[in-house]
This record gives sequence, C-alpha cells and structure tokens, in this order.
Amino acid sequence: MYEARKYIIQFVILIGIIIYAIKLLSVQVLTEEHRLRAENISIHAIPEYPTRGLIYDRTGKLLVSNQPVYDIEIIGRKLEIKDTLAFCELFSIDTAYLHKKLSKANYGLQRFKRTLFIKQLSAVDYARIQDRLSDIRGLYPVPRTIRTYPLSCFASGLGYVKEIDQFMLDKDTLNYYKRGDLIGRSGLEASYEKDLRGKRGVHYIMYDRLGIARGAYKGGEYDTLPEMGRDLHASIDAELQIYGEKLMQNKIGAVVAIEPSTGEILALISAPTYDPNMLAGEGLEVSRNFAKLLQDPNKPLFNRAIQSTHPPGSTFKVTEALMALEDGVIDPQRGRISCIQDPIGCHPHPSPLDLQASIQHSCNPFYYRLFMQIVRQDFGTGSSKENERIGLQRWHDYAQSLGLGRKLGLDLPNEKPGLIPSPAYYDKVYKNRPQGWKLSNVYSLSIGQGEMGTVPLQLANLAAIIANRGYYYVPHLIKGIAEREIDSLYRTKQYTKISPKHFDLVANGMADVVRAGTARRAQIDGIEVCGKTGTVQNPHGEDHSIFISFAPKDNPKIAIAVIVENSGFGGTWAAPIASLMIEKYINREISEKSQIHKEKRILEADFIRQKAERDARKRVRDSLKRVQKYRNQEPEIKKEKEKKALPTELQVQDLKINMDTLPYKRPMIPLSLPNSKAAPLLPSDNRKKY
Amino acid sequence: MDNVLKNSRQTSERAENSYFEGDRVIWIVVFMLAAISILVVYSAAGSLAFRRMEGDTEYYLLKHASLVLLSLVAMWLCHKVDFRYYSRLSRFALLISVPILIATWFFGTTINEATRWITIPFINQSFQASDLAKLALIANVASMLSKRQQSIHEFQRAILPILFWCGLICGLIALSDLSGAALLFATCVLLMFIGRVPVRYLGMLFFIGITVAILALQIGQRKETAMRRFTNFISTDHKEIPFQTEQSYIAIASGELTGKGPGNSDQRNFLPYPYSDFIFAIIVEEYGLFGGFFVIMLYLTLLYRGMLAMAKSERAFGGLLSAGLSFSLVVQAFVHMGVTLGVVPVTGLPLPLLSMGGTSLFFTGIALGIILSVSRGEIEDLEPQTQADEEKIFRRG
Repeated sequence: MYEARKYIIQFVILIGIIIYAIKLLSVQVLTEEHRLRAENISIHAIPEYPTRGLIYDRTGKLLVSNQPVYDIEIIGRKLEIKDTLAFCELFSIDTAYLHKKLSKANYGLQRFKRTLFIKQLSAVDYARIQDRLSDIRGLYPVPRTIRTYPLSCFASGLGYVKEIDQFMLDKDTLNYYKRGDLIGRSGLEASYEKDLRGKRGVHYIMYDRLGIARGAYKGGEYDTLPEMGRDLHASIDAELQIYGEKLMQNKIGAVVAIEPSTGEILALISAPTYDPNMLAGEGLEVSRNFAKLLQDPNKPLFNRAIQSTHPPGSTFKVTEALMALEDGVIDPQRGRISCIQDPIGCHPHPSPLDLQASIQHSCNPFYYRLFMQIVRQDFGTGSSKENERIGLQRWHDYAQSLGLGRKLGLDLPNEKPGLIPSPAYYDKVYKNRPQGWKLSNVYSLSIGQGEMGTVPLQLANLAAIIANRGYYYVPHLIKGIAEREIDSLYRTKQYTKISPKHFDLVANGMADVVRAGTARRAQIDGIEVCGKTGTVQNPHGEDHSIFISFAPKDNPKIAIAVIVENSGFGGTWAAPIASLMIEKYINREISEKSQIHKEKRILEADFIRQKAERDARKRVRDSLKRVQKYRNQEPEIKKEKEKKALPTELQVQDLKINMDTLPYKRPMIPLSLPNSKAAPLLPSDNRKKY
Repeated sequence: MDNVLKNSRQTSERAENSYFEGDRVIWIVVFMLAAISILVVYSAAGSLAFRRMEGDTEYYLLKHASLVLLSLVAMWLCHKVDFRYYSRLSRFALLISVPILIATWFFGTTINEATRWITIPFINQSFQASDLAKLALIANVASMLSKRQQSIHEFQRAILPILFWCGLICGLIALSDLSGAALLFATCVLLMFIGRVPVRYLGMLFFIGITVAILALQIGQRKETAMRRFTNFISTDHKEIPFQTEQSYIAIASGELTGKGPGNSDQRNFLPYPYSDFIFAIIVEEYGLFGGFFVIMLYLTLLYRGMLAMAKSERAFGGLLSAGLSFSLVVQAFVHMGVTLGVVPVTGLPLPLLSMGGTSLFFTGIALGIILSVSRGEIEDLEPQTQADEEKIFRRG
C-alpha cells in the first residue's frame, strides 16, 4: 500500500514538469504574441505644456500673448497627392512652392523623415482645412504655441523665448527643464521665467504592440495637469513706449522714463530697436532674423537703456551742486564764481553766477571750482594729498548714493554698473607712474567727463531722485504679478547721502534751465518742466546729446533721461525728445504747436545715416592715406611692402566708385545722395505699422 | 608508480571529504545555484540600485554576494551537526517561532501591504519570521512522524499533535502571507503522506487547512489581494492577464532559446521585484530556454538527491527530514517558476538560493545543511570509511 504512494508522488512530479515544459514552450516558441510585444510595448510620457503667462502694460494693453499655430510636416515617402491643384489650393500655395518642398522632402534619406512643409499656420486657417487634412496620408500637423507681440514694441525689455539648448540644460541644476521646453532668454521673459513658465504636466500613454495608443497608463494615476504661468503686469505705458520708439527712429541712443513716486519704469527705449515678432517662434526665418540683428553694426540687440555707458556730461553738475550744498562748501545765496574760461572753456553766458544760475547756464569753470572745493576740504589729516584722497572718496560715495556708477537692481538681466572712479581706481590706473596721480589729472570729472560712465537708467533715476526731492524707489518694470507681490526691494524707499532740504534749490535751477537756460526747446505750454542738458564729447564723432528732466516741477509725474549718440548739443536733440515724451505722458496727446516745432524735426533727423556716411568717408580717407604713405616710402621698403597686399591705386578708385558694394552689413545708403530718400533701414521699416 | 598516484588521489579525496561531507552532488548543485544567483541578481538589481543607491550597482552585488556566502557558511556549519540533534532543536525553534510570528503580526514592518518582516533590535536587520517557522515545522513534523511510526493509526496520540502544530503555524503565517502558508501546509501534507499517515486523516487535514485559511483571510490583511489574484487567475477572460504575468511572458518570449546574454535584460525595468519574485523570468530572458531548463534541472537534481537520501536512510527521522526539506525547497522553486510562467496565481515567492533576500537565503542554507547532514549520516552508517575509523578498526583488529 505504501509502495503505491511512492509512485503517486513520482507521477505527480512528472505531470508538473510536463505542464511547465509545455507552458514554457508555448510562451516562448509557439506564440509570437509576447515576443512582438517585447519589441513594441511601451509607455510614453507625453509632456503637457502649460500656457506661458501673458504680459500686460500698465493700462491693461496686451504686450505679449500666446498664439496657437500649426506647423504642417510631411514625410516624402508617405505623402500621396491625388490632385495637385486642389492640394495647392487647400494651402493657398503655388505649384512652384509645392515642387520645391517636395523635391526637398524626397531628397535622399530625408524622404523617410519629416520635413517642414508649411510653417506656423494660424489656428483659423488650420480649422478651415482640418477636415480635409485627414484624407491625405503622410501629412502631420504639429501644434505649437508661439509668443506674439500685438503692439510690436518694447523688444529690448520683453526679451524673447526660445527652445532650451544644451548649454542651458547643463546649467539647470534643479533639472526642471527638458529638451524642447521653452525658456525666457532675455528681458522680462528671463527675469520672471519662474512666474511665467507655469508648471509642466505629464500624461502617460501606453502603446500596444501595433504602436496604437491604448489610453492612459494605469488609468491616468500618475498623470499631472499643467499649471498655467502667472500673468505679468508691466509698468510700461505702451502708448508712451511706442511714441518714444517712434521719436528715436533712425537714431542711436536710449530713453528711460520713470514714475518718481513709485520707481516704476514708464518707458525703456533702446534705439535702434526691432520688432519682437521677428524673434518669435523657431525656424530658419527666426534664426536668419537673429543673425541679421546680431550683425547689424548699430547693435539693436544691445539694450542701450541699461547697458550703454557714457560720461554723463553736464547733467552730472546737478549732483555736484547737491554735494556742495551737503558739504556746505558754497553759500547758496551769496557764493558766486566768475566764468574765467580756465582751465575748462565755456560758452557765452552772464558771469559771475550763483549756484542756482550755474545750473541754468551750465558754467564749466564754475563746476571746476566747485569740484575742487568739494574734494579739497580740510579733513584734518594734515597732508593735502591725504585730504584730496578722502575728498575724492567722499565725492565718489555721494555719487554712488545718488545711484550712479553701480547696479541699481532693475529686474532685467545684464544691467551694467557704469563707473564712478574712486581713489583706488586711479591708484590702479596710474600704478606704473612713480609719482601717482594728482587732482590735475582728473579734474574733467568736475564736468561729468573723463573716466566716468553712467547708464541711461541711472540718469533717469537721478532725475527721479531730484523730482522726489531726495529719495527713490529702485526702478522696476513690473507693477504686479498675478497671485504674488512684487519684490520688497521695489517697495522700499531708498534715501541718498544728501539731505532732502538741498534738493529744492537744484530743482529750481533745473526749472530755470528749461525756462531760460540751455534747454528752452523743452518748454511745454502749461507744464513746468525741469531739466538739465548734457553734451558729451566723445572720440566717435559728434557729441552725445543728453537730457535729464522731470515734470511737472511740483508733484512730478514723470522723470526722464534721453541720450542721442553723436547728434550734437544736449539742448538740441535730447531736450525736445524728452519734452515730447513728457507732453505725451501727461497730456496724452501732442499739441499742434509741438508737432510743428519739435516732432517733425525729430522724426526727420537721421543720425544712423549720418553715421554710416561718416564711417564710409573715413574708410575712403584712411585708404587714401595709406596709399599716400606707401607712395612716399623709399623704393627698397616699397619692394618689401609689395609682397604684402596693400590696395593699389586702381583698387582704391574702385573703392570710390563702388561705395554701395562695400562690405557693410546693413543695407547700404548711397554716398552721394543728399536729397534722395535713404534706403529703408531695418528698424524704420518696422515703424511703418504705426 | 600507479599505486602511489592512486593512493595520493584517494587521500586527497578523503581530505576533501573531511571538509565537505555528505552528498557531493548536492554540494555541486548548491555552488552552481549560488554562482547563478550572484550573476542574475547583479543584473536584475540594477534598477533598484538606481532607485535607491544613486546607481551604485556594486552595492547590491557586494551585499548579495556576502549574504550568499553567509548562507553557505550556515549550510556548512549545519551539515557538520549530526542530524539527530535537529529533532530536539526543531522543537525548541518551533516553540520560539510562535511568539515571534505573533510579534511580527503586531509590530512588524509592513512592505507592500504585508506585515512579514520584523526588525531585530541592535543589529537593525529585517528578518522574515515565517522562514524560521517553516523550517522548524517541517523538521518537527518529521520528528513527530518518525517517533510515532509504531502507533501511526491512533488518532489521538499520533495525529492530533501534528495537526495542531500544522494548523497553528500555517494559520499564523497565513495572516500575512497566504501563499507561503499554503505551500508549507502542502509540504506538511506531503510529508505525512510519505510518513504513512492514513488517507482518511489526510482528508481531515485538508478540511482543517481550508478552515484555517478562511479564518486567516478574515482576520489577516491579505484577503483582497488573494481574492483578486485568484479570481484573476481562474477567470477565462484572457484580456485580463495580470500586469506582472504579462511582463514576465514578454521576458520569457524575448529570451528565445539562448537568451539575450548576461546583463542584457530589458524586462528588469518593467517587472516588479525582478531580483526576487520574478528572477526566473530574468534568468530565462538572459540565458534563454536552455538556461531556464538548466535551473529547473538543478532543482530536480536537488529533489532527487534528497529523495535518494530518504531511500537510503535507515532511520525514519532522517529520511522524513531530508524529504520534507527538499520538498519544501523544490516546491517553492516550482511555484515561483509557475508564477513566472502563469500556471499558478501571482504570488511573491522568492526562488530558493537564487533570489535576493537575506532571511530566505540564510534559512535555505540551513535547510540544505540539514539535508547534507542527513546524507552524511547515512554514508557514515553504511560504510564507516574515514581514515580515523579505518585506523581504529585496524588497531582493534
């Protein structure tokens, strides 16, 4: 009986092994299904992109929005066109375009891959043809959103978004970004990236062995919804911004307008500018535009309002007046200084002047003397040299406390600090000179020239400080962010080292400047404008024209700084531009009188063309000079030099004749055309839209 | 000359025998399984290493290798002990395993909704109490059966204590691990079947088993999982293949005859617990159908040698012990492979000696050590031929 049990056990084990073997064979050898699935089953994580936050201006106008577009892609090998004409009609293209694209799509290995057929088809157009697309094989619509700029303004401040590149991916240590994500690359898009981008969602889809989506993986248990980005409310006044950009057409320079009571920037213009839509989206055209902007000799991508540094020129005199009052080195009522034209020359004006009138007439020797008095105070060190060092350091600290020569903390990337030289700076510069430096080396600082460099934003902030009579808010471009307060830095009053009581005299002086001084062109009927001109000598040609201003004098609404490079006197160009901006902002319109007297003249001025002509002339002159030099050389040297390819006379003549074909990057302006209209330049071309 | 060589070989064999006694085939099988285990676990634990250890795959290699070594050491130590000792030792182990199981149920660590682990104080190592209890119960049933061979037909004296212990231990394990308990129960039934228990009592045992299982399901935490897996298994609707089984099929199918090669598994990224519960699928994927059959053959060899030890055994205890333990190991292995092949409902059983997992490896080592000890004991009894014995005989003679 018990022997039987042994056989039962053996039998059971045998049955078990047979079942296993059969199952193993069936799974592996007999059914193909699982092997195919091994190759095909996959779970795809589909990122769901959030909508990027919108940007509005201070009046609620939309500056930046998102637009859904569709790229139509084709795979050459799969595409079947039954009726070529109907196909062309569907996309409203001509047959030539179709043939061009088809030959591209069918070239080599490309025929197996997707080729871009139609770029950025608008949602309306796409909806119109959507039904008929499904009948065509090998055609793939790819939805995208691109940033659009309905008002086409404020390119430098808004910045642009781009698909993230490898460099930025490597820098992203938090590993938020994935390939294909959009990221703000400059301007507000970059500095408020975290608010604007929102939060990406993800959707897991399971694909079966046929590669057909079988729906959400595990019923969508792991899916997340995208969160929309926060909207930004910029402090920019779009109307003022557009008007300012229009005024600055064909000029190189910058305009910064600030609301003094809040530090909000009303307009931030860097000229020449460009249409931000040029850089929206991806693709060949955009990169071509980008290359074009990058190569433009006038550097439209360089944000002059926050990155260009120039000596402030005579506008700096107001800060020195404030320093003198703070240190008490001049009696504001009785202290007078004669204009002796030494050591710095001056222009004709009444003399001698008191402090207030010195601002009005911008007297150079006056400020030379004042500078010396500020720096050469007795600080009780016993050595005049030591005293001077302390004095210059004090002067430097005052200037920095007024927001010059340092980064203010604007909410845009790449703000430049500029430079207010300190004794340490001069020690470094003069370190190879045994006797060091003396005040007589640096006195051009007194009239805002020399080693000094300020940024237009800092000058506007200086105007705002005077407008506020002694304090400022750190300038910023954002009025508010949805669901979040703006940075507390932008809500804190900042005081300077100058006590507020001294500002009234300077403000009065600046009012006189416009009323009866160097900037009468800035007068506006009904608004008391205060301002100070600056005319900055520079090695590049004509003087830079600078004007800082605020208005009205009491309870100011706007503080502004204008700089027009290589144009002339401060009062001639910058002042009227500033006054037009002020008028536009306060009255919301330009009076007929201003239109005739100022606007027309400003709009017609074309300094870019002047500059191009000057540069071209200079090149010819230089070439001729070199040829002349070459001719005068000794025959031996001549032989030697012959080996090096210098332009021969013939070539120079060619040069003269074919000025138009000179290797200039920008569209050429014919040299000898004083009357003819210049070829349309890039930025002005965009202006046609207004 | 020839004689000298022969002699030297014999002496060397004897010297080896004094270190590794017992059935040499079992030793070879064990070493092969250990080697395969280290290879496969190193490959399969890759995703785990990336999830937990920041990609330090060597961490699991070293950890697993040292655990395998530990279990081999445990096995060596156990095979040195005379198997008759285990009769008393197992009773002691059975007695302490009851409170440990209860403690685990109340204070244990819960992993995947199952409270199976208890952390040993001071050394901070998690410990699966059911493995100890399993070993103790099998050894004890073997012991009790052998003691009561003469009175095997008397229910009260012979059968009742065995049924009591089986019911208690299986019931306690079933609270958190139903399949493990069922497996243990089946092994015990098999042991009694071999141990000449009348069939009517076995039928009774079957009913006790069902009662205990239902009770444990009601009290325990695995009711839903067990029900779901079981209904999933018996349902004829083939679209509802469980995820694990589906992935395991893919692994087996893509392995083909010769496999993808060591370390080239893809399904280790999809299968849950590729290094323990689904290690057989990974073996087939990487080493092919041949590799799979080879592993099956190794386990069958183990079973065969265990049975051989039983057949040769003069003492009932040794035979039952060896049979029970080898059955327990091999049945577990076959259920594991069955899960992988989809012929058994999905359950999380490790493959003995192959899967990663400290307690399981350790007690598998002990079980193998006991089997070896039994086989050694038999060899000693039948032909006392160690050098010392020979000398003794010679002197006496």
